[in-house]
Amino acid sequence: MTGKMIRTVLVCLAGSVSCIAIAILVAGCATNGIAARSPGKEYGRQLVYSTSPTTGVPGSMGNQPVGGPAKDVSTPSLESIVPPESLPRRSDELWVIEKPSARRTQTRQPQDEIPGSGTLLARQAGDKLVPVPLKHTDVKAHVEGYIASVDVTQQYQNPYNEKIEAVYVFPLPDNAAVNDFVMTIGERHIRGIIRERKEAEEIYRQARSQGYVASLLTQERPNIFTQSVANIEPGKRIDIDIRYYNTLEYVDGWYEFVFPMVVGPRFNPPGSTQGVGAVARNARGHSGQSTEVQYLRPEERNGHDISLAVDLDAGVKIEGLDSRNHKISVKQETVGRAQISLDPSDNIPNRDFVLRYKVAGSDAKSGLIVHRDRSGNGYFSLMLFPPEDLTRLPRKPLEMVFTLDVSGSQSGKPLEQEKAATRYCLTHMGPDDTFQVIRFGNAAQRLFPTPMPADNSRVQQALQWINGFDAREGTMLVDGVRASLLYPPDPNRLRFVAFLTDGFIGNESEALAEIHKDLGPARIFSFGVGSSTNRYLLDHMAKMGNGAAAYLGLNDDANEIMAAYFSRISHPALTDIHVDFGATAVDQVFPQRIGDLFVGRPVLLTGKFSGPLPKEIRVSGSVGGETREFTLPAIDDGERSDHPALAALWARQKLADLGDRATYEGGHDLPLEIRQIALEYGLLCDATAFVAVDSLTKTSGNHGTSVAVPVPVPNGLRYDTNVQQ
Amino acid sequence: MKRSASFCVRSLSLALILSLSGADRPAAPAEEANSPSVAEQSVRFGAVDVFVDPQGQPLAAYQIEIDAEPLGVELVGIQGGDAAAFRDPPYYDPRALMGGRIVIAAFNLGKDLPSQKTRVATLMVRIPADARPKYLARLQVAASSDARLIHANVSVVEQGAVP
Repeated sequence: MTGKMIRTVLVCLAGSVSCIAIAILVAGCATNGIAARSPGKEYGRQLVYSTSPTTGVPGSMGNQPVGGPAKDVSTPSLESIVPPESLPRRSDELWVIEKPSARRTQTRQPQDEIPGSGTLLARQAGDKLVPVPLKHTDVKAHVEGYIASVDVTQQYQNPYNEKIEAVYVFPLPDNAAVNDFVMTIGERHIRGIIRERKEAEEIYRQARSQGYVASLLTQERPNIFTQSVANIEPGKRIDIDIRYYNTLEYVDGWYEFVFPMVVGPRFNPPGSTQGVGAVARNARGHSGQSTEVQYLRPEERNGHDISLAVDLDAGVKIEGLDSRNHKISVKQETVGRAQISLDPSDNIPNRDFVLRYKVAGSDAKSGLIVHRDRSGNGYFSLMLFPPEDLTRLPRKPLEMVFTLDVSGSQSGKPLEQEKAATRYCLTHMGPDDTFQVIRFGNAAQRLFPTPMPADNSRVQQALQWINGFDAREGTMLVDGVRASLLYPPDPNRLRFVAFLTDGFIGNESEALAEIHKDLGPARIFSFGVGSSTNRYLLDHMAKMGNGAAAYLGLNDDANEIMAAYFSRISHPALTDIHVDFGATAVDQVFPQRIGDLFVGRPVLLTGKFSGPLPKEIRVSGSVGGETREFTLPAIDDGERSDHPALAALWARQKLADLGDRATYEGGHDLPLEIRQIALEYGLLCDATAFVAVDSLTKTSGNHGTSVAVPVPVPNGLRYDTNVQQ
Repeated sequence: MKRSASFCVRSLSLALILSLSGADRPAAPAEEANSPSVAEQSVRFGAVDVFVDPQGQPLAAYQIEIDAEPLGVELVGIQGGDAAAFRDPPYYDPRALMGGRIVIAAFNLGKDLPSQKTRVATLMVRIPADARPKYLARLQVAASSDARLIHANVSVVEQGAVP
């Protein structure tokens, strides 16, 4: 049956405690099996729907008991348990049945790759192959508009002759709402359970010490995670599936889907222990940091590769597709839909995968998407684009600050990109602008005592100074922040600070706290320079600084990137933004402080609401002291109120907001609130963890050696100056 | 002395063999003690099978609450059942779990649905070492693929438990 109308029947039972609702599809024909849509996942049959529309110098390289959540005595609905995305949509659309995917249902073949047989360690010319317990990572993403649902499968396999525990530190996008975790042993799939982190860690330790196969997923930073898999017997394979949702950035006409593939080596200031250490393979514990990544030497390969596929459903005509760092193949299915896959020849996970897509010019506009769960809670996501007339207004003179990272991780091509970008900026300032150049490594250094007019002689002086930079120092970003912000503001010019850095530091919270404290009226624009930058830090700096982040890859044209920056800041921003939802009860809108709207850079808001939405939403703000107002239609019908990822994305935004407040403002209740929200929505955060124990598989002997998965240093980064040996 | 020399040779040989085994052995970083501590032995792990008997009706969806007495039994994983329709692990309610309750649910709208008693899930649980918990399952709802509520019996059995 490739095309049967299916209607959704909601069965409500008046139970003794509460109403129980089950959404069941009634198929008009049952010649083929049907099941709920589960984007990207292949647990059983799948229903596919038709669509509408570091350095070598100083420094090291590199839960409490809850008062107990109130006992929930209500009887949850099936829908509250089964992730809504697994339930069918309520729209009256044509549903197409897909045959069961082979991946989930196939019987795992007997291990044909026995350690020592050579199949796992296939040698490449000149490289030394290192046996590692992580064989392959498979990424399947479904992008609908600007929301991505991503399934990551990590295939662990023990290449040794004795039992091991595999430990892998890996990145995910910092706005990823991780809400599902499944451990697969042979044909058996075991869903992991979200728990308070300390409790999950205790369960994992106990299971490991008793010989049970178990796995644990923890978050070390919003974009750094640790996967541990215990008691992997020789030759055995265990798969870990992780699912997350996230939103795509919109940058100058392009939506960006980013999948980070490797954690870059961080610099940790002297004395720190809670950073992210970068050590050589088998040098466990040498960094003294709570989280540690082991790196392969330049001549080593680990045989771990990656496959990645994106099912892109733009909803409107796709005008352009572009991969910044990888070779891809594209199969365009319709004007608004395409299948993109990573070229198999480009499968070494050593840089970010960045896929951009562009829609027809007039199709990128402010818009609201809504989801209502069956208990009546509403969630929305509002992408606010700046009013078009901003592009017709000139900006006022600026005080422009360019702050360059000259740490060892920027050695080589990254530093050249930084210099090229800064050269462009220095030669494109306005006649009434003033400027300052700052470099930071072991310490921060300013070119001028105070910002100077952008005249030719001073620009030449600055160009000469930056030409002499080399990158071999530490990364004292906090000093760079202070040097950029801590001096009296110019009453006639707004200060715009451009940070050019890879953000490879282990003390992100210190740098962000400094920005929070010292920002004043300045705006921060962060530029991530490199192939695999610390996007969490860079995005957060810009968000906190009311500016925007941009990324300058090693193969990008620095002039093009900086021209876009200048285009953006050549017009005034809409500031002090207020969104009026009329009579609708809207609360908990995140981010709580709405950033400024710059040309080409929308702001994404997410919130909860109840009751009917207004017909239109009024947005007001200030441009150069004058109030501007515009309205957006808020269409809320059955068709459009079905975006189940929104609840998880809202909860993730709330966790990020609470996390920021806990870090920068304190508040004893915040950690408890963070934990409650994460547990309630089944989300991973630094206070929670996923744990899965296979009580049916008890291995003999002790739990064996713990083996870290060593990773390559990001493309373009030098091993010798960034990894502690 | 002779015996001692022989011992040394054998030890040396063993060390050489171990060092030459190379890639087949993980590098042995200093690791925490491998023998379980007392705290780690204070619990045991078990598996609890959950059965649904739809009494001849094809089972398309179910929602079940499982209680354990005494308290202290914690869910640490969920595996799917025997029937193909319910082989994938069911979902659980995280909100209920916050209150110490285990509520699981699954559905499948295929045609190959079980109509006789079938194991729909196995709960992986952590149990205090000295506890012998009793489990009680309560069916909250079961339905067929045409949205009809069906009568079904549910039962739970801890694997390896002494009757």
